Amino acid sequence: MSPTGTASGPARPGWTLRRLLSARNLVVAAATALALLLPLFGSNFFVEFVMTRTMILGIAAATIVFLAAYGGMISLAQYLLAGVAGFMVGNAVVAQDAWSKGLKLGWNPWVAVLFALAVTTAVAFVLGALASRTTGIYFLMITLTYAVIGYYVFGSITPLSGFGGITGIDPPGLFEDHPVRMYLALVVLSVLVYVSFRVLAATPFGLALQGIRDDPVRMASLGFNVSLHRTLAFTLAGFTAGLAGVFNVWWNGQIDPTSISIGPTLDLLIVAVIGGTLSLEGAWLGAFVFVAANNYLRNLPLVDHIGITEARFNTIVGVLVLLIMILSPDGLAGIIERVRKGLHRLFQPPPGPGSTPAEAAAGSP
Amino acid sequence: MRHKPTIRRLLSLVGILAVFTLLAASCGDDDEEAAPATTAAPATTAAPAEPDPEPEPEPEPEPMEEMDTVVRLGILGECEGAFGAFHEDVVGGASLPFITFAGGTSNSPTSALEGFSGAVVAGVPIEVVGIGCGDDTPDRIIQEVRKIVEQDGANVVIGPLSGDESIAVANYAKDHPDVTFLNGIAGAQETTMVVQAPNFFRFNGDGAQWNAGLGDILHNVAGWDTAAVIADDYSFGWTSTAGFIAEFCAVGGDVISRVFPPLGTTDYSSFVQQLPDPDEVDGYFWAVGGSGTNASLEAFLAAKGDLTGDQHAGNLFFSPALAAALGTDIAGAYVGGFATLPGDVTSPAIQEYLASAEAAWDSLVSPMSGMEPGSPAAAAGFGFFYGFYSSGLAFIMALEQVGGDLSDNHAALRDALANIQIDGPYGTITLDENRQAIVDTSVQQLVLNDAGEVVSQTVALIPAVDQSFGGTFSPQTPPPDRENPVCETRDLPWAGNAIPVVDGVPQG
Repeated sequence: MSPTGTASGPARPGWTLRRLLSARNLVVAAATALALLLPLFGSNFFVEFVMTRTMILGIAAATIVFLAAYGGMISLAQYLLAGVAGFMVGNAVVAQDAWSKGLKLGWNPWVAVLFALAVTTAVAFVLGALASRTTGIYFLMITLTYAVIGYYVFGSITPLSGFGGITGIDPPGLFEDHPVRMYLALVVLSVLVYVSFRVLAATPFGLALQGIRDDPVRMASLGFNVSLHRTLAFTLAGFTAGLAGVFNVWWNGQIDPTSISIGPTLDLLIVAVIGGTLSLEGAWLGAFVFVAANNYLRNLPLVDHIGITEARFNTIVGVLVLLIMILSPDGLAGIIERVRKGLHRLFQPPPGPGSTPAEAAAGSP
Repeated sequence: MRHKPTIRRLLSLVGILAVFTLLAASCGDDDEEAAPATTAAPATTAAPAEPDPEPEPEPEPEPMEEMDTVVRLGILGECEGAFGAFHEDVVGGASLPFITFAGGTSNSPTSALEGFSGAVVAGVPIEVVGIGCGDDTPDRIIQEVRKIVEQDGANVVIGPLSGDESIAVANYAKDHPDVTFLNGIAGAQETTMVVQAPNFFRFNGDGAQWNAGLGDILHNVAGWDTAAVIADDYSFGWTSTAGFIAEFCAVGGDVISRVFPPLGTTDYSSFVQQLPDPDEVDGYFWAVGGSGTNASLEAFLAAKGDLTGDQHAGNLFFSPALAAALGTDIAGAYVGGFATLPGDVTSPAIQEYLASAEAAWDSLVSPMSGMEPGSPAAAAGFGFFYGFYSSGLAFIMALEQVGGDLSDNHAALRDALANIQIDGPYGTITLDENRQAIVDTSVQQLVLNDAGEVVSQTVALIPAVDQSFGGTFSPQTPPPDRENPVCETRDLPWAGNAIPVVDGVPQG
C-alpha cells in the first residue's frame, strides 16, 4: 500500500493489530532489523560510508516524498534546508582559535544542534509561507530559486561561510571516532522520521493536507486554511531535512556552498524519483541505489571496457532515472508494489474489488 | 488499465532485476574484500563471549601486515568539474615516476587511467588500488578519498588537484594517521600552513608562491604604482592573488581595488564594472580561472573598451590561447609562474623528463593536445601533470632511502619525505617545517613570435620561494581572503634576486 492509499480512506481510530501486521510494515520492520544488525557482518566501508550516507540522503529525500505524496508539492529546497542546518552547526561549533571561516562561536555541539534546527525551522517557515500560494510547476520553480539563492547567500556572506566553506567540524564526543554509533543513530532517526510521517498522515492535519493536495478549492470552501497547512507541512519537512543536514555535516566534517548547489539539490530529487516520490520507503531505497551505484558500479569487473568508469556515474544515473520514469513513474517502490500485487494475483484468485484505490490521485497537484 | 500484465510491466521487472543483479554483484565484491578482516576479528574476540551491541571497527590486523610489505596507491584524479579535462594528465603524472624509476609498465599505451603494473621500489611492490574522481568540490573529494582509503585500502594517496579539495583532504589526513598523503597540484595556502596534517606532504608551490616575482617586475620594470585585482572567490583565487598583492605592495605598489566574482560565473559584466577605468589605475591583475579567464577579459573589453597587454597581468591561467578571442593586443602581459616552465626554456633534464613520458605511453588525451590523443610530452610539460609527478618521484626517492620501511605508520618514510631534496627538471624542491615545498618559480610574458603569434616566454626565474613570503604569511596571520593580505611594504627575501632569462637561457 502506498502512503496515500493508507491515508486517503476515512480515518480509522487506533492502530489495530491487523493493520500493524500488514505486509508493508513487516517488510519495513525486517529492513530495519537488518539495518540495525548490519554492523555485525557488513564491512566497515559499507556501514560507515555507503549505509550512513544512504540514511542521511534517505531522511532528506523522505521530506521530498512527504511533501509530494501528502501535500502535492515537489520541493527542490530540501537540500538547501539540510545545508542551512549544516552551516549553522559549522558556525556554532568551530572554536574561536581554530582556522576556518564562519562565526566560530565555539559552542557545545548539542547546543549547536538546537540552534541549527531552530534556525532551519524558522527559515523553512518563512520560505514555506512565501511559496505556499503556488502549486505544481510554480512551486517547483520557486523552491529551485531558493536553492540557488541559498548557494549565493552562503557563498557571498563570508562571515557565515564564503565559497571556501567551513572545515574541521567535529561531531560531538558521542559520535566522534565512533562511526558505527552515528550509523545506528541514523537508523533510529530514519525509523522515527518514517513512522512520524506515516502517523502524521492519519492525523486531522495530515488528512486535511491530503484534502488540500486533491482539491484546494473545496478545502478552502470548507474553511481550511490552505496556505497555513502547506506552510506548516513545509516547515515540518524543513525541520526534518535539518536533522539530516546536522548528521551530514558531522559525517562530512565540512560544508561549503557547493555542498548545497544545484548538483546535490538535483541528486536528492533523483534519489526521490528513483525510489518513488509517492512512497516513503522509496526514499531510503532510492538513496541506497544512488549511493551504491556511485561507489560500486565502477568496481564491477569488465564494466570499464564498455565505458563505465567513475567519470560516467552521472550518465549511468541519468539512464537509470530515464528507465524508471518510462517504466515506472512511481519508482522502485512502485515496481516492488506491482510485483507484490502480481504475485498476490498469481497465488490468490481475484477475491473482488481491489484494496488500494487511491494511488493514482496522489500526484495531481 | 492496471490489471493486465503488460510488456511494460515485464520490462520493468527485467530492468529492476538487472539493477539488483548489478548491485548484488558489486556488494559481493565489497564483502569479498572485507572477508579477511571480518572473519579474523570475531575469531579473536569470540572467546570472551561478550555480546557487544556496538562492535567497534577493529584495527584489522591483516591489512596492517599487508601495509608493511605493499604500497597500495590511490590517485585522486579530477574527472568532472572545471578541471575534469585533466583527469588523464594528473593520473599520468602520478604514474610516470613509477613507470620510469620503479620498473612499472603502463597497462594501456593510450590511457593512464588503466594504471600501471609491475612497479617495485626497494623491494616493495606498488599496486594501484583506486583512482578517485573529483569535481573540484570538497564534498566530492572527501567521498572519493574515503572510498579509496576505506574501501580500496590505499595506504598512500597522491592528490588532489584543486585548492578547496586539498584543504578537505588534509583535514581528512589528520584523522587517518596510517595513510600517507602527497598533494597533487592543489595550491591553497591553508592546506599546509594552517591544517598542518603530519602525514600530508606537498611537493608543489601554493598559488601565492607561483606568483612570486610578478609584483616586483610589474612595479620596478613595467612601472605600475597602482593595481586592481580580480580573482575567483575561493581559496585558490585568494591565495594566488595574495602572492601578487603581498609582493606588489612589499616593493612599494598599491592595490586600489579588489573584485571577487564567484567561481563558475559566466557573465562577468557586473564585476568588471566594479574595476577602476584604465585611466584610473596603472594595471590589472587577473586570477580568474577555467573558462572564466576568457569570459572575464571579454567582459572587460566590452565594458572598458580597451585591453592592452602592458596594462594586464595574470596568474597561470593567462595563456597564449587567450589571443584567439582577444587578439594579439594581449601580448606584453606578464604572467605568474606554475609548476613547470614554458617551452622556451629547455635543458637536458627537461628533455629527459619529457622523453620518459613519451616512452611510457604512445598517446594521452589531454587538453594540451586539444582533447585528442596526442603527445604525452605535451601533457607532461604542463603543471598539472608535473605536480602529481613530483609527488610520485618524492615518494619513490624517500621509500628507496628508507629501504622500503613502511613500519610504524610509515614513520621512517615520512621522516625521509620531510627532508628530501628533489633536483627535478624544473628546479629544486625541498620542504619546510609544515611539509610544504620551497620551490623555484618563474615569471613569464606573453610575446609575439616571428610569425606574429602570441606565445609564452620566460623572463625571470625566482629561486627558493617559500610559503611564508618572508614572514608575510604565517599560521597566525589571517589566511588569504577578500580583504587579506593588507597592502603594506616589507622586505621579501627574493626581491631583487630574480634571475633574468633571455631567449630561454637563465643569465647567471
